[in-house]
Formats: sequence, C-alpha cells, structure tokens
Amino acid sequence: MNRRIFLMGVAGATLGCTSNADRRINIYNWENYIAASTLPDFEREFHCRVRYATYGSAEEMLAKVMSGNSGWDVVFPSNSFVEPMRQLGLLAPLDHRRLTNLDNLDPLFRTPEWDPSLSFSVPYMHSATGIVYSQSVSRPPLSWADLWADSYSRRVTMLDDPAEVFAACLKRLPASINSGNDRELERARDLAIRQKPLLRAYLNEEVRDQVVAGDVLAAQMWAQVAQVAIDNAPNLAFAFPSEGFAVYADNCSILRESKHQDLAYEFLNYLLRPAVAAAIANEMRSATCNAAARELLPETQRQNAVLYPHSDVLARGEWFRPLPTAVQRLRDRYWTEIKSS
Amino acid sequence: MRRFLSVYAGAAYLFLYLPLAVLSAFSFNSSKIATWRGFTFDWYRSVFHNRALLEGTVNSLIIAFAATVASTVIGTLAGYALWKKRSPWLTNALYMSLLAPEIVTGVALLALFQWAFRFGHLRLGLHTVILAHISFSLVYVVIVILARLRTFDPALEEAASDLGANRWQVFRHVTIPLLLPAILAAALLCFTVSFDDYVITSLVAGVDSETLPMMIYAMARKGVSPEVNALSAMITVGLGVLILVASRLERS
Amino acid sequence: MPSNMRLRSIFLAPAVFVMIALFVVPLLITLAYSFLTRGPYGGVFTPWTFENYQRALDPLYLVILWRSVWLAAVSTLFCLILAFPVALYIARAERNKALLLNLVMLPFWTSFLIRTYAWMFLLRDTGLVNVALEGLHVIHAPIPLLFNDGAVVLGLVYGFLPFMVLPLYATLEKLDPALLDAACDLGATPWVALWRVIVPLSKPGIAAGCVLVFIPCLGAYLTPDLMGGGKTVMLGNLVQSQFTTARDWPFGAAISLLLMLIVLVVARALEKQSEKLL
Repeated sequence: MNRRIFLMGVAGATLGCTSNADRRINIYNWENYIAASTLPDFEREFHCRVRYATYGSAEEMLAKVMSGNSGWDVVFPSNSFVEPMRQLGLLAPLDHRRLTNLDNLDPLFRTPEWDPSLSFSVPYMHSATGIVYSQSVSRPPLSWADLWADSYSRRVTMLDDPAEVFAACLKRLPASINSGNDRELERARDLAIRQKPLLRAYLNEEVRDQVVAGDVLAAQMWAQVAQVAIDNAPNLAFAFPSEGFAVYADNCSILRESKHQDLAYEFLNYLLRPAVAAAIANEMRSATCNAAARELLPETQRQNAVLYPHSDVLARGEWFRPLPTAVQRLRDRYWTEIKSS
Repeated sequence: MRRFLSVYAGAAYLFLYLPLAVLSAFSFNSSKIATWRGFTFDWYRSVFHNRALLEGTVNSLIIAFAATVASTVIGTLAGYALWKKRSPWLTNALYMSLLAPEIVTGVALLALFQWAFRFGHLRLGLHTVILAHISFSLVYVVIVILARLRTFDPALEEAASDLGANRWQVFRHVTIPLLLPAILAAALLCFTVSFDDYVITSLVAGVDSETLPMMIYAMARKGVSPEVNALSAMITVGLGVLILVASRLERS
Repeated sequence: MPSNMRLRSIFLAPAVFVMIALFVVPLLITLAYSFLTRGPYGGVFTPWTFENYQRALDPLYLVILWRSVWLAAVSTLFCLILAFPVALYIARAERNKALLLNLVMLPFWTSFLIRTYAWMFLLRDTGLVNVALEGLHVIHAPIPLLFNDGAVVLGLVYGFLPFMVLPLYATLEKLDPALLDAACDLGATPWVALWRVIVPLSKPGIAAGCVLVFIPCLGAYLTPDLMGGGKTVMLGNLVQSQFTTARDWPFGAAISLLLMLIVLVVARALEKQSEKLL
C-alpha cells in the first residue's frame, strides 16, 4: 500500500516537473543586463524554465542567429542592428495588443528613428559614449579634442571599437558619426593616427580597473561602465564631450524562428513592468528606457547626470545608423591602417 | 646540472602559477573591482548557487573527455600508420587544420552543421561541439605521437615479428606500452585544448550546451571578476588534489 | 604482406574520415566563401568574385603578415628556451613524472582570458611587479611593462608553454640517461653534453613543439588585443575582426586561406631539408 502511494507520488512529481520544463524560453542578452531576481521571478510567475545566455557583441549574436535555426527566442539588438535584422527576415513583427505595458516607455523612445512604429523592437536600456576621467587632472577633458593633448602623458585610452573611435574623430571635424564621405573619413583616420602615439592602449571595459586604480587618467568609455567605476572611486567624473557624442539603445525583439512566441510576449511585457525594469536599472546601473520604472528609482539614481543626461546634453548626441557596404569596407580598411601604424 | 635544472624548473613553475595566485587572492576580495577592499567568502558561496555555472562546468567536462578519448584513439592509430608509410594527403590536411584560425574553422563548421541539419531535425548541441573539438585536436595527438615514434628503434618491432607475432600483436604488446608516455602526453594536451576552447565552441554550441569558457568570457569581459576567480581557484585546487591523489595511488 | 596494408588502412580510416567530414568539407566551404561577396550585415552572397584575393595582396596586409611572423618566431624561441629545461627536468625525474607533467598543464585548465587579466593586473603601472621593483629601489618610476610588443611576447610564451613542454617531454623521456653520463665520462662538461648530445637527439620533439607554438601564435588575437593594448594588428586580429566588427566574411576567408597556403608551402620546403614533422 505504502509502496504504491510512494510510486504514484514519484510519478506525480515527475509529471509536475516535466510540465514545468515543457514551457521553455531561450533568451540571449548582453551581459550585465538583468538583475538577480528578474529570471527566477519570471519562472515562478509563468511556470516555465528560462535558458539565459549572454553575448559580448551584436555581431556575435547576429552570426548565430542569421541561420534562422539558432534556437533562441528573444534577443536584444542595438539600435543600429534592428533594421538590418528586419531586412534579413530575422525578427517577428510585434503585436502591440499583447504588449499591454508598452505605454510605460519614455516618450523619447516611443517613436525611435530606427523603428518608428515599434513594430519589431521594444527599447530596453540606453547609454552614451563619453569620457571618464580622474578629477586630479589639471584640465578636465570636456571635449574629444582634449584627448589629443600632450598633458596626459600617455595615460589616455580609447575604445577598441572602430565605430566609437571614428565617432570621436568625426565629431572633432565636425561631421556626423555615420558619415560615409571619403574625405571626412580620411581626415578622421589621420586624426586617429596622430592620436595613437599619445595613447596607452585601445581597451574596452577592461580598462575600468585601471581607471579606478589611477593608472589611466582619461578614457573613452560607455556611460554605464563609467558609472560603475565612479561608484568605486569617487574622484572620477564623466563628461559628455562638447562636440557631440554617440548615443545608443538596446532593444528587445522576438525572433521569427521562435517556437515559444507566447512566452516571449509575456517576457517582453514583464520587462516593461515598472518594478522589474527599475530593479534591473538599479542593480546594473544601467539607464532604463522605461519612464514609469525611472520614477521608482531612488532619487540619486533618477537624477544621475551620467545615466540620464539632461535633454540639452542629449541634444548633442547622435544615434548610430547602419551603414552601406562600401562605407563599412572603407572604414574597416582605415581602422586596420590606424591599428598597424 | 641537476641543481640548475631544478632551480630553472622551479622558476618556470612559479611563472606558470603566478597569475593563478593573483586571481586566487582576489577571489577573496570583497570589492568587485581589482582594488583590495576586504576579505570575504561571498563569491565562493555565489558560485555554488549558480546553477548555470555548474551546468556549464559539467558540459565542458563531458565535451573534453569525449573529444579526448576519441582524438587520442584515432590519432594514435593514425600516427602509427603514418610512421609506417607516409600519406601526403592526410599530413597536409592535418597541417592545415592546425593552421586554420579558430574563427574560420568555427564559422565553416557552423555552416556545415546548419546545412547538414536540413536533412534531419537536428539542432546544435553537445554533439556538434564534441565533433568540432575532435576535428581540431586530432593534429595535436598525431604530432606528439609521431615525435615519439621517430625516436623509436624499429628493431624492437622487427624482433617481435621475427618471433612470430603478427602486425596487430606487435602493435598491441610491443609498440603501445612503449608509446604510453607519449599517448598520455597527447591526451593531456587534447584535454587542455578542448577544455578551454572558446571561439569554435561558442559558434557551434547549441542553446543548451553552454560551456564553462563561454560563461567565463561573458562574466569576465569587463575585467577581473571575483566570482570567476573563485570558480577558477576551486577548479585549480580541485583538479590539483585529484592529480595528487592519483599519483599517490599510482605509486602505491 | 597484404595484412600489413590492411592493418594500416584500418588504422588510417577513422582519421581520414574525421578529417574529410570535419575539416576538408569546412575548408571547401571556406574556399567557397572566399570567392563570394559579403552581405551588408555579414554572411555571404553571390556574385562570385576574385576581389577578396586582390585586396589581400595589398602592402598593408603584407606588413601585418611580416610583423606577425616576427612576433610569433620570437615567442616560439623564448618558449623553447623556457620549456626545454623544464621538459628535461621532468623527463629525468625519478618519480612523480606524471604529477610534474600534470602540474604543468593544471593552470591551463582555467580560462586563458582571466589568466591574461591577472597578467595585466601584475604588469600594469600600479601592478605588483612595478610596486615590488620600486619598493626594492631598483627603479624610481614605473616602467611600462604592459601594452607593448614585449608584453605580447610574454603573453604568447605563457599561453603556449604546455604545447612546447609536452612534445619535448615525449621525446626526451625516451632518451637513455646513460648517454649524458657517457658524454661526461668522456670529458665533456654538462653544457657541452647537453648541446652536442641531447639537443640533436631531441630534434623531433623540438620541431614538433616549435610548430605547435609558432602556428597558433600567428592566429592569436586575444593576447595582442589585451596584453598589447590593441595597438598592433597581428594576423589573428585581422581575421578575427573580419568575422566580427568588419563583417566581411569572404575577405576573412581569403586572408586565412592565403596564410594557410604560405605557411604550408614554407613548412614543407623546410621539412625537405631537415626532419620531417608529419
């Protein structure tokens, strides 16, 4: 008698487990873009299992997703990748009726230039590229041109990203960061080659520790990473260069190949909830595109000028755009020339 | 001479373990950044609670073991056959597999798998990663085995066959025991190459087959990360204890 | 004897199968890619073209090739110098050979990326090495140990050490210790004995180790990016960037194939003169 009850109990338990595991969703996101509680809460509320993996660059994600058979359901393309992915037929059109929390978005992101009707993407977090520097320097670098100054004695770094380095040089000319003009790109390249002997290195987020330790005095850096550095070393500050700078936003999208579209919609909606978005923004020190969530943030975060710059500062910002093949090829060639000079 | 060798070797081991010592020290750092704040065991705790990380470690071990066994067997047999008689096609192919940059191999294998999957309802997964690892680690085994075989005295094998053994018996009872150190060295190399591979694995891994290097790269891209350091320190100490125990057992 | 050939064919068969299915076919795919055109966002499309190869023969890339070969050669040499005594020590150890060998490999079972970060931490201006040197009053200001070619060589030597130690060990282990003793008895100093007796006998191991280090060094991208501060472009970086930021897969395929062809031809030519490797 007991044995039979036990066996039935085991069978019941396994059935319960499998019914949970049947509902699956596979999410592919940038690193450090989710709070510790986000996924477990989602799993509990919607009785499902989440497979979560991260990537370090949009190209990496694109390479895996391009086959149309990658197995992922939700991805987070940056703004300049949304249109290309749409053209490649990778994104599923979004049904706004199923995204009830869409109104929580900040007005700035309701009709973004890369997806005016939000038919394929929902803005998630935004950031900008500027200069993080130590306040011990005699003259704070408030413009890109300051990073060419001799006074930093090789304690300056730039990002190891051609788009960002070109953006800084082009803004100095001045020109658009998405410029495809041969002459402008050539001059930008020359500027970068002139800067190279003054640089310590081309580094991405790895330089964060060196900025905190004081090895590096000024670095071209993304605002979110800069904020983490500032949290750890209060003598640091962040500047939005006066000539202009790049801004970007990461968006969530559902892949057309997804076999779990219902859960994907639930997840997108879930991310748009003010409490959820606020938790992520708070823990990860990222800037959310969700206005309702921003209201829930602590005062210091909400008014943080690095993460949420004032609108006249933001007016100097420019969004990255996808570029035609010929321009990409020219830029890549110039980047190789800069790096091997 | 002996003393010089010991001192030199000691210095070399120090060189090898210096970064490990550093990151082990920082695994106890209470700050997320590489400046010392205070002592803590928090990161070790969080590693144990990280289910995904443990899954990734298991995946990596499975892949490395499977690929090592397969590569070592296939490679030893092939090395022996190549020693007997050259085969330019195979040797050129092996050479080129060593030359190919990882990302090229990865992208090409991905294309191959995606095309092959059109004929069945297959997806990327552990099996594709294992196959990929076998393909690039085979050459390491063959090179090490051949290097050893070239210092081999063929008279040993001749003597055995003169005494009446057939080719297979000669191989099994004479050659293999003498090759054993080289086989172990090759297997070790294979395991190492496979366990820490990132580029090829990240391209051909499926949704469910994330490996440890993939997770570490994701966590550590921003710089020294205490959780990753804690995990690495645990792996090092764990494996270190394992090999110490194995060597004790072997001796007794 | 027919049984010979059969055994040999059986032994070769699995390797041949693996190489054809998992290497030759992908290689042909890469070859096809190199004649195609890039898509605007990555991927490959027709039309077929020779353009990628024409671009690859540009002097800019030849300079990169030369610099990569130079750095890889220097790194291989230092790796050999560092690894040989270690391999000799392990080969001549009376006990614990397997343990010592495993201890060489153990660090390499942790992620290369974080060990590189650990080196960056050690070598930077406020890192332990500079602090120690300043504390001992050997230097007065921090010396730039990071973000230059020297750091790249150090990183490469460190990263490929086991690839040199293991093949060397495999050959040295076989050598009769009596050989060294005999040479010394005949009046040679240990150094001469090492140089004139042991090294020539371990040539296959040396050749194997050098190949296993030199070639991957050419394709290294992480070390030049991190230890070198991204200031030099090596072949590995060039190829890597074609498949990532530049999104020009056909060009990346063309460069890789040219590189593989050049190295293969040179290696085969060298082999004709000295020991064969494969």
